[in-house]
Amino acid sequence: MQKKKNEVKTTNDHPDYSKYAVVFDNVSFFYNENTPTLKNISFKIEKGQYVALIGHNGSGKSTLARLIIGILIQLSGDIYINNELMTDDTAIELRKKIGIVFQNPDNQFIGSTVRDDIAFSLENMCVKSELMEDLIKEYAAKVNMLDFLDSEPSNLSGGQKQRVAIAGTLIRNPDILILDEATAMLDPKGKREIFNLIHKMKDENPNLTVISITHEIDEAYRADKIIVLNDGEIFMEGTPSEVFSHPDELSKISLDIPFFSKLSMELKGISKDVSNVKSMEDLIKVLCQ
Amino acid sequence: MKSVIFGRYSNYNTPIHRIDPRVKIIGMIVFMVAIFLPLTKVGSTSQYEINMSTATNFIILGIIFLIQLILMLIGRISFISIFKSMKTMWFFLFLIFLLNILIPTNPTAEQTAFNLGTLAISYSAIFSTAYVFVRLVLVVMITSVVTSTTKPMELTFGIEWLLYPLKFVKIPVHEIGMIISLALRYIPTLMEESERIMKSQASRGVDFKNGKFKEKFKSITSLIVPLFMSSFIKASDLADTMEARGYDPKAKRTRYRMLSWRWVDTLWLIVIAIFLGLIIAQCVIGTNYMLLLMNII
Ligand SMILES: Nc1ncnc2c1ncn2[C@@H]1O[C@H](COP(=O)(O)OP(=O)(O)O)[C@@H](O)[C@H]1O
Ligand SMILES: [Mg+2]
Repeated sequence: MQKKKNEVKTTNDHPDYSKYAVVFDNVSFFYNENTPTLKNISFKIEKGQYVALIGHNGSGKSTLARLIIGILIQLSGDIYINNELMTDDTAIELRKKIGIVFQNPDNQFIGSTVRDDIAFSLENMCVKSELMEDLIKEYAAKVNMLDFLDSEPSNLSGGQKQRVAIAGTLIRNPDILILDEATAMLDPKGKREIFNLIHKMKDENPNLTVISITHEIDEAYRADKIIVLNDGEIFMEGTPSEVFSHPDELSKISLDIPFFSKLSMELKGISKDVSNVKSMEDLIKVLCQ
Repeated sequence: MKSVIFGRYSNYNTPIHRIDPRVKIIGMIVFMVAIFLPLTKVGSTSQYEINMSTATNFIILGIIFLIQLILMLIGRISFISIFKSMKTMWFFLFLIFLLNILIPTNPTAEQTAFNLGTLAISYSAIFSTAYVFVRLVLVVMITSVVTSTTKPMELTFGIEWLLYPLKFVKIPVHEIGMIISLALRYIPTLMEESERIMKSQASRGVDFKNGKFKEKFKSITSLIVPLFMSSFIKASDLADTMEARGYDPKAKRTRYRMLSWRWVDTLWLIVIAIFLGLIIAQCVIGTNYMLLLMNII
């Protein structure tokens, strides 16, 4: 890899990671000394990639997310965000370019109304008060919450609250958006709305890097890349078709593969070539041709 | 469950609703001072004087009651909510009455209202209890006027603004404001949560309504412990969210909601100042003046 000449910021000598949004280099972390939570994790996420992070409960996914935004700091190894090393001192600065949406819709609603919750982010960014109203409206419209600006959280559904959280996160204009099981507590309709919203955002801004921690296997299939975590270690990494072509190994760590991949694998040889399909709809389309 | 918080904000647009929260807070404090100002002259010897000052007190409280009644009518505050929030106070009133009776005063025949067995109940015991009762009602009224016409958010801003001078003695006023607004924000959420836990515990056979004290204590524990657990999880999630959205208590922040002062607010403030002046004036010369007045009549 070539090194840029005008590189001043990186004091310590590290390879040029300017292509990557997130780089983990041999990172370990534990909450309690006897049980390591993350062990020697290394991976790279390119800028603009849509990455799904899957793994069973307790495998360390949320811990990994908290390391990326620097709420937790790694105990060994290096983390680079946008080519800059994450340390205690740089965490606050680097975090400005990262947004995260957590699982529980109630626990991340800070303001007393939708308006105030979105404004919370702007207040922290020291945006002038006069400019806030327009920005709030713009982002509320993006997440389809314009009609609920004065609603209180107790009168909103889980999906609506998560959309507000997304607005409050996107208004900070992040390069990296992390969803830590953001749809886990929502009904199917709410889930669909959130995922469609995220894909819409991603289409509008191709440079946005999305890291989606999810149990929705079908959703993971839409990602550019899947990282499988198991007991604090990377179990598998690759494109969705690569990862899901190992159903036996995945079932060993009690992870499933999407129904349509199962089906297309079974259909191999008996039917048309269906190995490239990316969703149930595609599969039906190919088969009905 | 929701009726527990008295004076929840009611979404009308009355002149009281439109007053600046700072004025309302100051006004509330002035009313409270007026309600609790001890007017009975200490060291009064003559029974006549004591009776007079008691009468004066009740007249003053009556005037305050009338003013607050008008404020409640303008602010469209429901009277039922006042009764509801009084519910918890009956026990205390009874306790106060009991204390007043049991304190041995040995009332003379003319001071005795009636006899309860061997116990002579004096007028002063009844009056003291009535006095406490009236004051409590007045306090509930005025706080209801403020809390049901002011959004919790505005109230917090008002408190924070008024506490601002304390910043210079190194008291973290902004953090206090944030803590209050988060607490207000999470009251309904925690209510829902406790309702949810109660239901799920009830479905496991926990009885919250019946049983002896010990059993009741046990069932309450089965509510409190999970509620605490979930509150800690909520707090930690909330802290993560705030940090992730760039909150830094030490850093400078801007404000979305601004308090805007209007000329009517100045007017209200003047009215409050005059009221305070009258209260103080009558406190200083009041009793003697009333005595004088009564003598002339
Ligand atoms: N704050 C914490 N303190 C101690 N242990 C924790 C804490 N958070 C998570 N853990 C432990 O770390 C492991 C990984 O947790 P987590 O990252 O939340 O996993 P996941 O998000 O994949 O379910 C679990 O065993 C969990 O018990
Ligand atoms: Mg998790």
